[in-house]
Amino acid sequence: MAPALNLDLESGFTSLLEAAGLSSGVSHLLWLPLPMLLVLVAAVVGVLVTVWLERKISAAAQQRIGPEYAGALGILQPMADGLKLLFKEDIIPARADGLLFSLGPVLVVVPVILSWLIVPFGQHLLISNVGVGIFLWIALSSIQPIGLLMSGYSSNNKYSLLGGLRAAAQSISYEIPLALAVLAVVMMSNSLSTVDIVDQQSAAGILSWNIWRQPVGFLIFWICALAECERLPFDLPEAEEELVAGYQTEYSGMKFALFYLGSYINLVLSALLVTVLYLGGWGFPIPVETLAGWFGLSVDAPVLQVFTGALGIVMTVLKAYLLVFIAILLRWTVPRVRIDQLLDFGWKFLLPLALVNLLATAALKLLFPAFFGG
Amino acid sequence: MGPGPSKRLPLEFPPTMFGFLKQVGDYTRDAVVASQNIVQGLSVTFDHLRRRPVTVQYPYEKLIPSERYRGRIHYEFDKCIACEVCVRVCPINLPVVDWVMNKATKKKELRNYSIDFGACIFCGNCVEYCPTNCLSMTEEYELATFDRHSLNYDNVALGRLPTSVTSDPAVIALRELVYLPKGVLDPHGVPADRPRAGQLPEEVLASLTKTEES
Repeated sequence: MAPALNLDLESGFTSLLEAAGLSSGVSHLLWLPLPMLLVLVAAVVGVLVTVWLERKISAAAQQRIGPEYAGALGILQPMADGLKLLFKEDIIPARADGLLFSLGPVLVVVPVILSWLIVPFGQHLLISNVGVGIFLWIALSSIQPIGLLMSGYSSNNKYSLLGGLRAAAQSISYEIPLALAVLAVVMMSNSLSTVDIVDQQSAAGILSWNIWRQPVGFLIFWICALAECERLPFDLPEAEEELVAGYQTEYSGMKFALFYLGSYINLVLSALLVTVLYLGGWGFPIPVETLAGWFGLSVDAPVLQVFTGALGIVMTVLKAYLLVFIAILLRWTVPRVRIDQLLDFGWKFLLPLALVNLLATAALKLLFPAFFGG
Repeated sequence: MGPGPSKRLPLEFPPTMFGFLKQVGDYTRDAVVASQNIVQGLSVTFDHLRRRPVTVQYPYEKLIPSERYRGRIHYEFDKCIACEVCVRVCPINLPVVDWVMNKATKKKELRNYSIDFGACIFCGNCVEYCPTNCLSMTEEYELATFDRHSLNYDNVALGRLPTSVTSDPAVIALRELVYLPKGVLDPHGVPADRPRAGQLPEEVLASLTKTEES
């Protein structure tokens, strides 16, 4: 891998401030909130776009039109929904446990937003290149069921309790195959860092993406990610026909909005992580170095650096939203599974399959170290 | 497992091993079939994305109710003879016929007539049995009110004619699927004078009388 893509905004910013006479510590401190704010805004805008896409694509799949009056093509509809929730009364049921009831949605949302820490949009376009990267995400996503269980239990409502228990059972069952699928990728790229995982896939463009070497792992990861996000066909915790709205039943106003936001941020995050793990992250189907070679440009040229950075963001978002589209299409294609089927599928099918996949990856890595990251 | 019968050839595997392999094979085949079905379903959903919406954009667009539509009941006070047949044929004796006997003329004198559309099931029995045809069904169906008591229509309210969808300038009137010309599936922009598919009852009647004459 050529270390050519060295567009580094952070060093540029800090050196600019240091030139202005600030110490390196202060300039670093001034830099820190910028990417965090940017990623937070990106996550929320990503959710708004996803909600709009969900409504429009759902409408199209059912031969309807969908929202069309709030903004052009109804693009402002999610914003209007969010504003409505913001202004609604925040109700805590009389017999509920107030502290746990308020803490639940926070515990659901915070880990999801925190996980954006490790999502790379380019070689240096991520908040923090944590060494344990993808493992951090798996660890953070394990916090979520605690929040779900907490809100389900504290609502003092049978539907909420059942929904919370289902959510916890589902998250725990699908965490393991998910982690095993990630482990196979990690084994191939010899690193837990998301940047290294993408770099390892960028040698030959589309041909070197992990999806060709890990097709089974890709499917397992995607299925488990859908289950973790509680998307159909795995939306049992909030199955309205059985459980009203599951653990969300008693929530209204901003606390409900936090659940809503959390589930959609989680969907976008899962799509981004599938992109990073299996679809080459920010990589263009043809490597940028090759493209630059065709046009006779140096990869270190500033124009090309900016172009590569922009292309990286566009490619990451494009791939992620393709996956979001598939998730929405799946929602209208497959029926909801039963709770016993769900657990059977997780423990008796995905888990053995993920283990076999992991062992096969290990064996293939020993046999063909050139292709499977020796 | 245990030792098999002595007749078995030395190369043969114990049956349970084949059983296990068969199980694995069946399981794999089931998984493949299931994923094929999901892909097939996805293609169906995907195909729907390019189809035209079938929804009617109410209240800007409205469907023209069919000829035999059983909407709000219209009532003509002057035709009514206060016979109360409508009350007798009504499943819940709903119409209220308020009349007094005029001793001088020895005739019924109708004072008020009302139907509560909050309780009416629009079965049309009263319309069917009215001897003087003073009751009829209209195409009006937008009866929403803020108070259920305003659904109790008296003879004045019952005598009002509904606004026709086709004559309302604020509404784009759309024909229902069966009233569209042959081969047309989208009601938007179909000229009003284009005839519907098939024959109208009067056309059928005309052709019948023609064949009888010949």
